[in-house]
Amino acid sequence: MRWGMVIDLKRCIGCYGCQLSCKAENGTPPGVFFARVHKQEEGQYPTAQTTFLPVLCNHCDDPPCVDVCPTGASFVWEDDGIVDIDADKCVGCRSCMMACPYSQRFLNDEPQNYYGDQGATPYEEARVQQHQEGVVMKCNFCRDRVRNGQNPACVENCPTIARYFGDLDDPKSEVSRLIRERSGFPLHPEKGTNPNVYYLPA
Amino acid sequence: MDDVPQNLTDSADTTDKVDDKWISSSCSLCYSSCSIKAHRVNGTVVKIEGNPESEVGKGRLCGKGVSGIMSHYDPNRLNKPMKRTNPEKGKGIDPMWEEISWDEALDTVAEKLKALREDDPRKLFIMRTTTVMTQHIPPFAFMSAFGTPNASAAGGGLHCGNGAHLISGIMHSSWSIVPDFQYCNYAVYFGASKGHAAGHASCSNMTMAADARARGMKMVVVDPFANQAGANSTEWVPIRVGTDAGLALSMANVLVNELEMYDVAYLKAKTNMPYLIGDDTRYIRDPETNKPMVWDSETGQACTFDATDSADMALEGTYMVDGKQCRPGFVLMKEHLKTYTVERGEEITTIPAENIRRIATEFAEEARIGSTIVIDGVTVPYRPVAAIAFRGSQGHKNSTYNMLSVDLLNHLVGAADVAGGCLGFNPACDGYPETGRLKYIPHPDPDGLMITGSWMGPHGPYPINDPAPPERVGLQNLFPMAMGSVFQASTDQEEMWEKFDFDYRPEFLLNLGANQIMSVGNSEATEASLKKFKFIVSFDIFATETTEFADIVFPDCGYLETTDSRSNFPFIFSLPAGLGDWCWPIRQEVVEPEGERRLFADVLQELADRIGITPDLNAAYNAWFELEGENRLKPDRKYTFAEIGDHDLKDKFGPDKGLEYFKEHGLVKWPKKPNEVYWRAFTDVRVPLYWEWMTDTWEKTVAIAGPKGLDIPQEYYSPLPDWLPCPSHECNHEDFDFYAFYYRDIVHTNSLTMENAWLDEAAQLDPYSYNIAINAGVGREKGLQSGDLISVENEHGHKVEGRARLTETIHPEGLGIGACAGHWARRMPTAKGKGVFFNDLVELDWEHSSPNNLTVDLCAKVKVTKLEAAQ
Repeated sequence: MRWGMVIDLKRCIGCYGCQLSCKAENGTPPGVFFARVHKQEEGQYPTAQTTFLPVLCNHCDDPPCVDVCPTGASFVWEDDGIVDIDADKCVGCRSCMMACPYSQRFLNDEPQNYYGDQGATPYEEARVQQHQEGVVMKCNFCRDRVRNGQNPACVENCPTIARYFGDLDDPKSEVSRLIRERSGFPLHPEKGTNPNVYYLPA
Repeated sequence: MDDVPQNLTDSADTTDKVDDKWISSSCSLCYSSCSIKAHRVNGTVVKIEGNPESEVGKGRLCGKGVSGIMSHYDPNRLNKPMKRTNPEKGKGIDPMWEEISWDEALDTVAEKLKALREDDPRKLFIMRTTTVMTQHIPPFAFMSAFGTPNASAAGGGLHCGNGAHLISGIMHSSWSIVPDFQYCNYAVYFGASKGHAAGHASCSNMTMAADARARGMKMVVVDPFANQAGANSTEWVPIRVGTDAGLALSMANVLVNELEMYDVAYLKAKTNMPYLIGDDTRYIRDPETNKPMVWDSETGQACTFDATDSADMALEGTYMVDGKQCRPGFVLMKEHLKTYTVERGEEITTIPAENIRRIATEFAEEARIGSTIVIDGVTVPYRPVAAIAFRGSQGHKNSTYNMLSVDLLNHLVGAADVAGGCLGFNPACDGYPETGRLKYIPHPDPDGLMITGSWMGPHGPYPINDPAPPERVGLQNLFPMAMGSVFQASTDQEEMWEKFDFDYRPEFLLNLGANQIMSVGNSEATEASLKKFKFIVSFDIFATETTEFADIVFPDCGYLETTDSRSNFPFIFSLPAGLGDWCWPIRQEVVEPEGERRLFADVLQELADRIGITPDLNAAYNAWFELEGENRLKPDRKYTFAEIGDHDLKDKFGPDKGLEYFKEHGLVKWPKKPNEVYWRAFTDVRVPLYWEWMTDTWEKTVAIAGPKGLDIPQEYYSPLPDWLPCPSHECNHEDFDFYAFYYRDIVHTNSLTMENAWLDEAAQLDPYSYNIAINAGVGREKGLQSGDLISVENEHGHKVEGRARLTETIHPEGLGIGACAGHWARRMPTAKGKGVFFNDLVELDWEHSSPNNLTVDLCAKVKVTKLEAAQ
C-alpha cells in the first residue's frame, strides 16, 4: 500500500481551489501552504503560454527529509507510505526544510493569524491554533480524511477534476493506470527521492 | 505502527463536540451561488465544501468558494448600525462613525423615506450588488412598492452585461452563452472565462470544460492576455483590445462569401434572414396582417412568414412586392459582410489575415452542417462548434455589435442551442414534474421573433420598448436597450437631466451592498455622483468606499447567516447548461447572525411597515415570486424573508416541500430532457440576425433627443452589426501607446473579495493579480523591468500606479490589470492598498459610452511612465 497522487496538467486551470481548500482543511497559518499553484510562462509572444504547476509534498519513497531529521520527528507511515511529522518530537531545527528538494516543508513561526492585532478568528481558534508553534509542518495527504475513506481535501475539491489519489502499489488503480497510459512523470526524478506525486502532461 | 505516537493514530477526539453538523447551503463569493456544505462544529464554521448532490458546482468549489470562512469571520465586518457624525464626505475623509441602536437607525430612515415618498417617490435611488444573485428580488420589490423607477446594479450591467445579456437574451433566451461542453468539438472564446473560475455556473463550467478539453474539444481563445482561458487554449489568438467584432465579422465573411458554408435550412426556419427588406431598411409587411413577408420560391409569390414552409423561403434574389423593390435579409447580410475582408480584419484586429481565414475555415468544417445526433433516443441537430463572448467583448462602446457579431457565427452555421453548439443557460423547462410549476419556453412575437420564456428582470430583452422621453435617472426610457446606465454616475449626468427637463433629482440613495465607487468608473466621477445625494443609507457587510459616503449604515448578514429560497433561480442564470439535472438549491443560515446584523430583506420589510407600504411590498413579492393561491402573501402581514421563502418553495414544489424540507435536503432536482436542453429545434421561434427595429428606434430616439441637442450617431443603430472604434482607438496623442484593459482575476470577484485574507494572500503570490501586465519585448524597449513602479495615465489625465509585470503572454499593445483592486476604505485593512484600481482610467460620460446600450467603454489608451526602479 503506497498512497500517491496524479495531477493532470491538461485539466488544471490554476484556480487555486487546491491551495485554498488545503488551507481551509488544515488551518495553516499565513505564509504556509501544504498545496500551492505556481503560475509560470513558457515560450515567446505570440506563441507563449501560461502554465500551472500545482505542488505539494511528494511523499517520497526515499525522503531525504526523514533521513536528516535528528529527532525522529519526520517519519514514514509504514502501512501507507505517507511522510509525516510528529510535532511533539520536532525541535524546529529546519534540517528537513533544507533537505527537501521540493521546498514543501514550512516552519510554523509568526504570524499565527491573518488579521494581526485584531486577533484570531473563531475559525483560527478552532483550526489554526491546533498546530504547535516553532515546529515544521507539511502536507500529510490529509491522512485523517484518507483513513476515514475520503480523498485528500485538494483532490476532493478540485473543480476541474485534475487530481487523482490512490494506491501506487496496485497496478490496477486509477492512479497507476493514468501514469502508465498518459506518461505520468514526477518532479526532479534526478534527485533520487522516488516521489509519489506524478503529473500528466498538458 | 507500534512505534507511532498515539496522538497521531486517530482523528481528533470527538467527545467535546456538542454540535457537529454539515449544512447544505449556497456560496456567495460570486453570483454563481454554487451549492455548498458548511461544516459547523460547536457553533463555528470550520470548513466549506461543495455539495456533491448538486448540479450547481457539482460538488466542487473554486478558491474563492472554499475561502468564504475568512469573509465570514473577518473582524472588520460591520456588527452594529452606525451614523456618521462628520457631515463632510469625500475620499479619505473619516465619517466619524457613531454606533446607534436599530430603533434609532430605523426611525431616522423610515421618517425620511416617508417624507420622500410623499414628496416624490422617484427621488429614491436603489443600488444593489450583483453578488448575491437571488436577492435581487427584495430591492426590485421594494422599488415597485415605493414607486420609484430608479435602480441600478452599480457596476453590474455596466461592466458585465449590458451587451452580453442583451444579446444572450435576444438570441438565446438566456442570461449568458456557453459551448455545449458535452458535445462541442471547437469553441472560440472571445474574451470569456466560461470554465475558468469566473462567470455564471462557474464551478460547474470548470468541470465540464475540463472534461471537454480532455475529450479533445479544441479551444481557440481570442484575448489580449493569455493568463487564464488562454492558458488552457489549443490556440491563443492575441487581439487588439476592443476589436472583437472586426474578427467575428471577417470570419463571418469567410463563411458566407468565401467558403459559402452556412446552414440554409436553419437560416430559413430559425432566423429572419428570409424576411423581405425594402429599400427603407424595413420589412415588407402584409397590408392586412402587418406580418413580415417572405418570398415563396415554390409559388413565385410573396407571403407572410408563417404562411409557407420555411424550406420554400428564398434567401437570395431581388423581388417586387406591391410595387416595392425588396430582398431577403440574407442578401443584405452577405453584401454587408463583403466589406469585412480578412485583410480588413487584420487591419482592425492585428490578427494575420491568413489566421482569420484558417480559423473561420476550421469553424465551418467542424460545424458539420446538416448533421444530426441521437441523444437518449431523441434526434437533434448536431453542430459541434461554438463562438462565445462575455465581458471582454461586451465592455466597449461597441458592446452590442461586438456581442452580436460573435453570436452571428453560431447562427450562420446553425449552432445555436443544438447539440454541440452555443447554448443559452436553460432557456426552456417543461416544469417540475410533481407540480407542473416552473414551466417556461421561448415563444414568438407577432413578427415570429423570440420572446424569452424566463428572465431576470421585469422586462425581457425583446421586444425592444419604444424610446420615450426619459424619466429614469439613467435615461433608460430613451435608450430602451440599456440595463445599467453610465448616467447613474457620469460627469455629464446633470447636463443630461437639464437637457431633458427633469423635474426632479435623485435625493436619497438606498445602497444594498453595492460599491459604486469601486465598480463603475473613475472615482472622481463616482464620488461626485454620490455627493449629490442628500441622504445615503447603506446596507453592507464592510464599510466600503461607497459605504463611507453613507449617513446611516445597517450591518447586513453575510451569506452564512442568510436564508433564501432561490439561490439559483431563474435557471437561465447559474444552473449549468447542457444535459444533466434541473436543480433548485436553497441558501440557509449556517450560523446565527453575529452582533446586531440583520438581513437586509427583513430590514426592508421593517421599513415598509414603518412607512405604511407593507401591502404594496407583499403584492410586489407575490408578483416577483409568482406566488399562487394560498401561497400568496397576505396584504397586511409583516413576513420575514425566510417565511416568504417558505411560501415560494411550497408554491413551486408542493405543500410537503417547504423551507423545512429544503433545510434538511438542501435541494430538489430532476433530470433534464433532450428536448428541453436542445429546445431550439422543437420550438417555433426565430431570432433576428437583421435588427429591423433599429431604424425605427433610432428615428424615435432622434425625435426626442435631437431637439434637446443630443446627437445620436446612426451607425450604432444599423440593422446589421459593424465594428465601430472605441474612443481609445481614436486617440493619437504621442506616447499613448498601450490599450489598458482589465480582466476578472481568477482569485477575486469584482471588489467583493479583496478583503478576504486568504484570497488576498493568494493574489499577492500570483504573478499578475496585483501587478500591471505589459508585453516583455515592448517593456524592455521602454526600459522597463518587472517590479518597476509605473504610472499609467489616460488622455484625460486620470492616472493609476502599480508595479509592472513583464510577460510574453500579452498583446504588445495591451496593458492588463486585475480589476477592482486598490481599495482605500479605512475599515478594510486587508484590501487597502493592494493591487491597482483600474477603474480610475475609465471615463464616465456620453462620449465614452455605447450610444445604444449606455454601457461604459472599459478600455483606455494610456501612457506609461517609470516612477521608480524595481526594488
